Amino acid sequence: MIGYLTQVIRAIAFVFIALLLCGVIFEFAGFSAPLMFQSIADGAFLSVRAWENSLRWGLPLFLTALGVVISFRCGFFNIGAQGQFYMGAIAATFVADGLNGAPAVLVMPLTFAAGILGGAVWALWPGLLRVRSGTDEVITTLMGNFIAGLFLVYVTSGPLKDPSGTGQAASSRPIGEAYRIAATSSISPAIIVIAVLVGVGMWVLVNRTSFGVLSSLAGRNPIMVVWQGARLSRLGLAGFVIGGALAGLAGTIEVLGPIGRLSSGMLPTHGFTAILIALVANLSVLATAVVALFFGGLAAAGLYLPVLAGLPAAAIDIINAAIALFITARAWPKRLTGLFGSRQDAG
Amino acid sequence: MDETIIAILRSGTPLVYVTLAGVLAQRAGIWHLGLEGLMIIGACSAVLGLVQGGSIIVGLGIGIVLCVLASALLWFVIEKLRANPIIAGLGLTGLGLGGTDLAVQAIYGSQASVNAPHGLPRLGPAFGEYGVLSILVVLMPVAVIAVWILTRRTRWGLQLAACGEHPFAARSVGVNPARMRLAALCLGGVLCALGGAELSMGSLQIFAYGMTAGRGFMAFAAVIFGGGNPLGATGAAFFFAIVGALGIRAQLLFGERVPPDFLLALPYVATVIGVWISGKLRGGAKAAASFGELRDY
Repeated sequence: MIGYLTQVIRAIAFVFIALLLCGVIFEFAGFSAPLMFQSIADGAFLSVRAWENSLRWGLPLFLTALGVVISFRCGFFNIGAQGQFYMGAIAATFVADGLNGAPAVLVMPLTFAAGILGGAVWALWPGLLRVRSGTDEVITTLMGNFIAGLFLVYVTSGPLKDPSGTGQAASSRPIGEAYRIAATSSISPAIIVIAVLVGVGMWVLVNRTSFGVLSSLAGRNPIMVVWQGARLSRLGLAGFVIGGALAGLAGTIEVLGPIGRLSSGMLPTHGFTAILIALVANLSVLATAVVALFFGGLAAAGLYLPVLAGLPAAAIDIINAAIALFITARAWPKRLTGLFGSRQDAG
Repeated sequence: MDETIIAILRSGTPLVYVTLAGVLAQRAGIWHLGLEGLMIIGACSAVLGLVQGGSIIVGLGIGIVLCVLASALLWFVIEKLRANPIIAGLGLTGLGLGGTDLAVQAIYGSQASVNAPHGLPRLGPAFGEYGVLSILVVLMPVAVIAVWILTRRTRWGLQLAACGEHPFAARSVGVNPARMRLAALCLGGVLCALGGAELSMGSLQIFAYGMTAGRGFMAFAAVIFGGGNPLGATGAAFFFAIVGALGIRAQLLFGERVPPDFLLALPYVATVIGVWISGKLRGGAKAAASFGELRDY
């Protein structure tokens, strides 16, 4: 318990350091740092509307981050959440758009299945390359992000293009009203229920099943797992696929819910933020929920920064990046265990 | 033919400089995913330095100083604070992308790109068609050979490789791995600044948000593909550049039938295939076993 507390305190301390660093950068660039922090607090947590916004951004992030948690626990650096998120959103839109007009009872399950499958498949190939031929998954999943991003541009300006679209970014036709699970830019009970169900499911998977035990062992001491008679490659592959499926689910929810359509270049930092959330939460499912809300709040506040503090929306990206820079630091306070702390090579 | 060679040299040169930086880091045992961020800092500084400071030397100088400082920051975080190099590198990339955006917005307001009045010095008309190539393209082979000599033919290079492969052995003969890593990263920072400057000032003379478009990651892939050897990695970088140039040519030829986005994706697909092949040849990547963590022993 004490170890867990110090971990939480350390994570908060590093987030704080990162925020301070950003404050200095913004002051240096001629913006007001206190005003920025005030705007973030206002936009994220200081009103009911702000909380709704934080949930709207936080819940999809929570789902994707859970996927990252599962995959990292298995010991694989699957940083392709962004591409898996895109592929899920694309697959879901294909189904929802293609079956437009059919009864919702039929379309909804198919749309969700397609979205989840889309994300899972986009995680499956780097996983297979990793366990079959030892191809470094960091590079393949990164490249997968770029390929998925280009594919998104292609489908939104090609097969799924909205002919009446006049916006700057190409986008698909709006999803049919009957299939929407939330109004544009808002949160709904349906999304909250899905997030809670998936969260509970993943908590059980990680804490109460042999998969959970073996996977976190695989992340820390792969040789031990082999000695236990478990198949390392199968575990790893399962981690990849579950990670991709959750990212795909998040993509489906964004398309059917708050965004309401597929658009090129949508939420370009979603996957990166999800990885951060998983790391700040130290790969714990419960902590991921709390941290996801915090980062959801940052994302929500990011929309108000240009209005309130005259800052570019990129300010939130900078804050996230600064957190990423420090979050895995384990030298202070000394002798802490954690994801990375327990992986010291024997001397 | 000449056109194609020029196109390949132009798109390959920035990649090669950044790849060399990645090679130095890789040999020191660091998985450097901050290359993308350093590259865009270099690209941005070159243009802003020229526009605001009035001289290309100012731009290059600022770029080099900033990239070295950012590299030193990365070193401090991964070496002194023991952060994970892959995540910290991704963080540095995010800082570079966001920071350059912020800098442009702080100076120019909501403007997506900055034009430069002129680019890097060119070879000039004496070289015919090749006269459009910048001075950094000419210096590129020199940089490749210099890094090759430095890493493969000097005492320092061997010590650096020892720090990457077996830090305990390096330490036992009195080499300080931490200091060697700092040197490798900072030298890499200089190379990234040059690569970024060539990207924004070589042929385009413009800085646009996110203009590196994953080239830093591609350079990192080239390092892996080339097995940490400067010559192999340079070859891999040119392979990616050739695929990219072919993609653009193919766009002109088959643009009607094949969507352009598919052709734009070619370099990324080639990267995956390249890393897959090199993984097969070398029996698997090393990093996954330890998450790219720095080793002390």
